[in-house]
Amino acid sequence: MEDKKVLIVGGGIDGVRVALEKADTGARVTIVEKFPTLGAERIPRDRLIKPDEAFVNLDLDSVRNNPDIEVLTYSDIKKVIREEDGRVRTHILKHSLHVDNSKCNDCKACIRVCPVNMFDDFNEGFGFRTAVDFFNSGTGEYNIFKEDMPVCQDACPIHLDIRKYVGLIADGKYKESLAKIREKLPLPGSIGRVCPHPCETACNRQFLDEPISICFLKRYVADVEINNEIEPAYETPDKKYPEKIAIIGAGPSGLTCAYDLARMGYEHIKIHEALPVPGGFLWVGIPEYRLPKELLKREVDLIAGMGVEILYDTRIGKDISFEDLQTENDAVFIGAGCHSGLKLNVPGEDDYEGIVDCVTFLREQALGIRDKGTNKLIVIGGGNAAIDSARVGWRMGFDDVYILYRRTKKEMPANPWEIDAAEHEGVIIQYLAAPIEILGENGKVTGMKCIKMELGEPDASGRRRPMPIEGSEYVIDAQTIVPALSQAADMSFLPEGHEYKISRWNTFEIDEETCQTNIPGVFAGGDIVSGPDIAIRAVAGGKNAAVGIHEYLRSK
Amino acid sequence: MCTGRMDPATVVKALKKGLDGLMVLGCYFGDCHYISGNYQAKAKIDMTRRLLKHLGVNEERVSFQQLSSGEGARYVELVTNYAKVIRDIGPIGGEGDNLKAPEIFKKLETAEAVLAGEKIRWVIGKRTPFLESGNMYGEIFTEHEFNRAIDMIIVEETETQEILGRLKEQAQSVKDLAGALTIPAQRVFRYITALKRKDMIKLEKVSGRTPVYQIVSQEV
Repeated sequence: MEDKKVLIVGGGIDGVRVALEKADTGARVTIVEKFPTLGAERIPRDRLIKPDEAFVNLDLDSVRNNPDIEVLTYSDIKKVIREEDGRVRTHILKHSLHVDNSKCNDCKACIRVCPVNMFDDFNEGFGFRTAVDFFNSGTGEYNIFKEDMPVCQDACPIHLDIRKYVGLIADGKYKESLAKIREKLPLPGSIGRVCPHPCETACNRQFLDEPISICFLKRYVADVEINNEIEPAYETPDKKYPEKIAIIGAGPSGLTCAYDLARMGYEHIKIHEALPVPGGFLWVGIPEYRLPKELLKREVDLIAGMGVEILYDTRIGKDISFEDLQTENDAVFIGAGCHSGLKLNVPGEDDYEGIVDCVTFLREQALGIRDKGTNKLIVIGGGNAAIDSARVGWRMGFDDVYILYRRTKKEMPANPWEIDAAEHEGVIIQYLAAPIEILGENGKVTGMKCIKMELGEPDASGRRRPMPIEGSEYVIDAQTIVPALSQAADMSFLPEGHEYKISRWNTFEIDEETCQTNIPGVFAGGDIVSGPDIAIRAVAGGKNAAVGIHEYLRSK
Repeated sequence: MCTGRMDPATVVKALKKGLDGLMVLGCYFGDCHYISGNYQAKAKIDMTRRLLKHLGVNEERVSFQQLSSGEGARYVELVTNYAKVIRDIGPIGGEGDNLKAPEIFKKLETAEAVLAGEKIRWVIGKRTPFLESGNMYGEIFTEHEFNRAIDMIIVEETETQEILGRLKEQAQSVKDLAGALTIPAQRVFRYITALKRKDMIKLEKVSGRTPVYQIVSQEV
């Protein structure tokens, strides 16, 4: 039994008993307990199963004095790794008690004045404890309980200090509030308009009435600044670093990465943008009525004002090769996003003119290439991109705009308020319908053959699977068809025969902690790593990468 | 002597003795000889006003104003205005207050106990660091949050002091306390468990099946 190590999870009655037994056999025992003291919670009497559990007097001293037993209280197991030889390794996080119990004389002065009340875990939440308190009256060990971040901040991908900035708005301190947001987010006005706000979904206030309007409050403080014609300047530290950094893509992730690096003191940051406009999907994917271009331009100009150089019309792989970028710079960040739409895969799709995927459709409209529409438009899909395409189409002057979705309104992934707005504007949404063939004449689209669907059993995503109804085919006349299914990353900028690890979803595989790809010095973030996702997650990707780049450059 | 040194408990004591109004006159912000004394005074008076409002006493009975020692005219103006305000409100426990005499004096006694208590003194003393330099974890609070916390503490402390006041007279059960104080029995029980945890009360006996609690005298 030599060299045998035992980990016991849980320092309750059974845990302590097993620990003593194992220690007697000569093993090295470690007890991990999540509460600050051994002996676990007090068991309520009505929950006792075996009478002998009732009042067990634990021999805690013999555990503490046993040289073979190591006790880790107030600890959480973070990770369990199973080794190839059958052994198990664990990562344990030990919280600090914040009280030196060898000096504490149990005078209780601290708990009498503590203003923070919380549920008492030891008594199964039966009563309250204060933030500084003893855990178990039997052992009398004091600790200070510190809660983690609030739920909204936890839900936010960039962990914006929502509690603080909303509180400052409540105090009427708009300038301070905006400054607080800008500590982490350089695009408050844009994100405040387009974010689907996971924070509000998590907000505890919803259980009372409705969640705090966290997203629009952010937009509000950003608008206050514009309406009062205040011109802020983003400051950079005096201490500068000489390294050169190249960023591919001026989208939310690229801009945030540049902003964070500039705030750390990097002087030579160049953003290479393929389009003639900044903002990436914020500019060419989100319509003008949801995010005014002027406002986005202003926020990008503020970032450019920090000394970040943005080169437009510079497509990597065409105007400048990826290898050059890598050799000329100390670090490269790829935030190119997902700018190619997926195809429908129905007969006739490649035969006729007039089929354009939603990414191209929205981009061309945003850049002014395609500004007028006539006759009928069909958009296929149920995401926000589909609703955007339809509402943009309606504004371009199409006579009739249809959206085809194969499930019902309840299953639609788009934001409900966007669906309502589209219906209100006059977009005709046909639920439970799917395309089966594109019809055309003389090389041009004339219509689409569709089929009615019904909902069957739930599939892997939890949504009910649509099944076609036999013999229910019908035809809709249309001259333009926009499939808005999903987007994928375009990896054509990488040199041929590259050695990057690409996942089966055609995205970069990166190290979770450093955001580095498998090639040192090349980092990636945003949609090109996560697949098509919301803007704030792309911002989070850019922020994490900025930290990773900083650590990489400073450790060279 | 500085207004920052003034104890809010004495302010309420004055009201308890039958005073109808009390004005605290401090220096202008930035003029303080002790740097932050007038900020402390302002915080204490604001908190006292919140407490009085919660109890049903007209908060205008306590006021904080600022002037410098050379401003005789402003002094006259402030005093004249305040005298008019108090004359409009009327005598304490009358039309101007939500609570009428003699209950109002009973409540003011509770208020004095609250303000003389350790908890509210500690918290109000921490106001400036919490709002400006932050707590141990570097978290700086907004005024809004701090006031919300103060409001919560005021409610808790008044109810706790009322319970302690009753227990000082005689040992009682949760049910008796709830009936006498019109606080739900569940809440009273929560306060009782908290007080027991802090060694401020203890179980005297169990009469029938009802536990009866008594106060533990505190050594000074």
